[in-house]
Amino acid sequence: MYDFQEQIGFPILTVLTFLPAVAGLVMLLMRGKPKAYKGFALAATAANFILSLVLIAYFDRYTADMQFIEKVPWISSLGISYHMSVDGISVLLIMLTALLSLIIIPASWNYVKERELQFFIAFLFLETGLIGVFCARDLLLFYVFWEIMLIPMYFIIGVWGGPRRIYAAIKFFLFTFAGSLLMLIAIVAIAYLARANPYATPVFDMDLLEKSIFSYQVQMLAFLAFFIAFAVKVPMWPLHTWLPDAHVEAPTAGSVILAGVMLKVGGYGMLRLCIPLFPDAVVTMAPWILVLSLIAIIYGALVSLVQKDLKKLVAYSSVSHMGFVTAGIFALNLVGIEGGIMVMFSHGLLTGALFLMVGFLYERLHTREIADMGGLAGPFPVMAGVLLFFTLASLGLPGLSGFVGEFLSLVGLFTYSKPLAAIASIGIILAAAYLLWMFQRVMFTKLRDEKWYKLPDLSLREIVSLAPLAILAVWAGVYPNTFLQLIQPPAARLTEKMAPYMAEGGSAVERIFASLGGLF
Amino acid sequence: MSHEVIAIMPELMLIATAVVILLVDPLLPVDGRRGLSWLGIFACITAALSTWFSRGEEFTAFSHGIALDKYSVFFKILLLAVAAMAMLISEKHLFLKKRLLGDYYALILFATIGMMVMAEAIDLITFFVGLELMALSSYLLAGFFRYQEKSIEAAMKYFLTGAFASNFILMGMALLYGLSGSTNYQEIGDAVKLGPVPEGPLVIAIMFILAGFAFKISAAPFHNWAPDVYQGSPTPAAAFLSVGPKVAAFAAILKFFTIMLGSQSDTWVPLMIALSIATMIVGATMALVQKDLKRMLGFSSIGHVGYLLLAVVATGDSGHTIGMAAVLFYLAAYAFMNMGAFGVLVYLANHNARFNDSLDDLAGLGRRRPWAAGVMTLFMLSLTGVPPTAGFLAKFYLFSAVVEAGFAWLALAGALFSLVSAYFYLRVIVFMYMRDSEQVEEKTDGKSWDLTLGLGIAAAGVLLLGILPAPVLNAAQDAVVKLLGN
Repeated sequence: MYDFQEQIGFPILTVLTFLPAVAGLVMLLMRGKPKAYKGFALAATAANFILSLVLIAYFDRYTADMQFIEKVPWISSLGISYHMSVDGISVLLIMLTALLSLIIIPASWNYVKERELQFFIAFLFLETGLIGVFCARDLLLFYVFWEIMLIPMYFIIGVWGGPRRIYAAIKFFLFTFAGSLLMLIAIVAIAYLARANPYATPVFDMDLLEKSIFSYQVQMLAFLAFFIAFAVKVPMWPLHTWLPDAHVEAPTAGSVILAGVMLKVGGYGMLRLCIPLFPDAVVTMAPWILVLSLIAIIYGALVSLVQKDLKKLVAYSSVSHMGFVTAGIFALNLVGIEGGIMVMFSHGLLTGALFLMVGFLYERLHTREIADMGGLAGPFPVMAGVLLFFTLASLGLPGLSGFVGEFLSLVGLFTYSKPLAAIASIGIILAAAYLLWMFQRVMFTKLRDEKWYKLPDLSLREIVSLAPLAILAVWAGVYPNTFLQLIQPPAARLTEKMAPYMAEGGSAVERIFASLGGLF
Repeated sequence: MSHEVIAIMPELMLIATAVVILLVDPLLPVDGRRGLSWLGIFACITAALSTWFSRGEEFTAFSHGIALDKYSVFFKILLLAVAAMAMLISEKHLFLKKRLLGDYYALILFATIGMMVMAEAIDLITFFVGLELMALSSYLLAGFFRYQEKSIEAAMKYFLTGAFASNFILMGMALLYGLSGSTNYQEIGDAVKLGPVPEGPLVIAIMFILAGFAFKISAAPFHNWAPDVYQGSPTPAAAFLSVGPKVAAFAAILKFFTIMLGSQSDTWVPLMIALSIATMIVGATMALVQKDLKRMLGFSSIGHVGYLLLAVVATGDSGHTIGMAAVLFYLAAYAFMNMGAFGVLVYLANHNARFNDSLDDLAGLGRRRPWAAGVMTLFMLSLTGVPPTAGFLAKFYLFSAVVEAGFAWLALAGALFSLVSAYFYLRVIVFMYMRDSEQVEEKTDGKSWDLTLGLGIAAAGVLLLGILPAPVLNAAQDAVVKLLGN
């Protein structure tokens, strides 16, 4: 048992989770003093980021057990407790969340003109919801955080978004809420089915639920409910349609968090809940999910090719990249799962950076249309260099983080099925095509407007906000072990959990594959 | 003191206060009447305290006419809280509309007494007296702005449908009495369960009672009066009417359909399911197209009645106390969030003479009145069922009950309609924060600490029930255990 008392001495997960929200409430007192509250928000997110590094420092990376456990009864008559704990996957994603939440503060220093205070408060609350999701070890608590992060994002898109922001915000909310409600019913159902007898309290504790065995039918229904909720977030084809709208309308910082962390929450949920709780259903459904992932990879890439709007291009590329996440995870082997998590991490860094770049370009040119740009490498040489770096990282250049994840994910998929891996690798080629073509059209070709020479190149503030992402992208590309060490034990635990079912369900998989094989 | 007096102590306090208010009111100048609401609130608080101190008691009084047990204690305190909140949000509005009369508070107190009697009754006659006391006071409250055509229309509609509904219930009661030879809930329950009872009349009795209650709680297809009445009534009265009578009616429904008719669940469960689904459909879809906020909240309250009926279905074979506890908790959550939502409308009407209860009037509110918009957002999120609010936990607990009783598909239906309802609750937020308006407020001096306090209590209730629900949840669970044990 890794109790927080023994490990670090104070409830670090609670502090990590609620520090931003408390800071947000304190900021309400600083109405009308922009310098003060911006500085305060920066300090709070910086403190939280440092705290997340402390968490990693104290984290025992040689075990798959949950650590920094905090557990107090919350609604005891229903068996619900405030139970927080983390494993390597959560720790990595918490660090990512804290980092992105930190860098969007300087990145949007001058971005919003009105209701600026509320803008920053919304992001702090969002951070609370996101970190809470990664820490929660009680199903209801998980759901509460899951929903809490929805509200600030809804406001961020709806209040500070583009012209069609209301449509995008409502669409975003309703898509996610639909999935959430399905998940809520499934949570309730399994909590009551996991009881030892009809008079016992329901079971919401994930530790206990992982030990429960559900009937095949229950597993299938509950798996589908959870999976749809997570698939909306990821987003998997065909549930992705809210994503381009949300991204195009959202302010830059909103896009960064949305793509950088919120999409990962879906993948995280699959790892945390779908696989450990419903192994039988996972075995049955995995091939179909892989097919959907492949469609997402190819479809997302093809649609990215034809986008005219820079932000939409990055948004659709997310659909494609996230396809590698689900493909890796549902290959159900160690390499694949590790790959899936690495793609999540790297996509968080790189897409975050790309959205920031798009935002910086937009602040200068007031357009996001690729056709309106061109030749920008002349006026903005630094920006061109930085964008090239993140473009190459994103398309999977070896030595940078994008490559590691996608490679591992493909290896995992290859172990599962060679034809599927072959199809998935087309996605990488397409990624190179749409990203490089985009770069070419934006930065090279003919300069469209001489006036752009008067505009400033990347400022120090902007470079500072991009730098940590670039450093991590190189680090994860050159020495991925730092991160793989964190995720290896929990990933191994998942594969061990799945191993007996794989053997048992092998024939079923083969049968489905035989039917699929006919298609290829 | 005899048991009888202890049992109805809170009611006696309210009656005394109501009479004092009525006597004093004509002697006071208009400004002096402003204190009367506090007299009523004080009565509610003392009555609630006296109820609270009798929570350990367990006995029947008035020849088994009422029962004092944890169930009645839960409902009485809830109803008193609703009455107190209603008086807090009313005072300034009545003053501004030049109808600040003591009668209003007396009527609220009388209605509350009726509701409390409905909740604690274990005898058909006692129940009916409570029902009529509540109903008659409510009609008057709906028509309290007698110089407004729509207020009179609301009262008339409410009266006609209400009288109709009462008669349905009365007819059902008469049939039950004829079948069992008793007016006592428990004796009727035993007779229906054990004795040979002719099937036909029993089914008819159940249908009469169900239809009557469906009118009272505005369940579809007996719902059409509700939006009209809420729209026409004075807004603070609409707040009270959309909560109090429903809470009391559900208190009675639970007793009727478990103690008395628990053995007949095969008959009423399908009917109740049909009612519930129809109600959810009407509530969710009709609210989508409303432009008037009071009508919208009216249909939204119909939707919530649909969910509540789901939980009543879950009490089915009487074995599922969790269904009953879910109803109790949901009603508590509903009371705070609905009172709060109507309270914000009162607040806006007090501060802006041009405020017309229409959705468009909310445009840009987040900028003009950040606090009002903030609490309205809280209430809307709670009505949607988003954590960490009361509405979420209530819905979660209710779905748990429904799933536990084996009606997972009904819970799915409920989830579907809460998705639909999310759209119109969100639209309120959209108007407040994401639309701007050129409309200029016609500012009036609506400042009122009473109203602020009322909204504060509602908001605090919504948050507390959402974050620290354990005390109320346990009280709800304790309240229902004994009810079925008898």
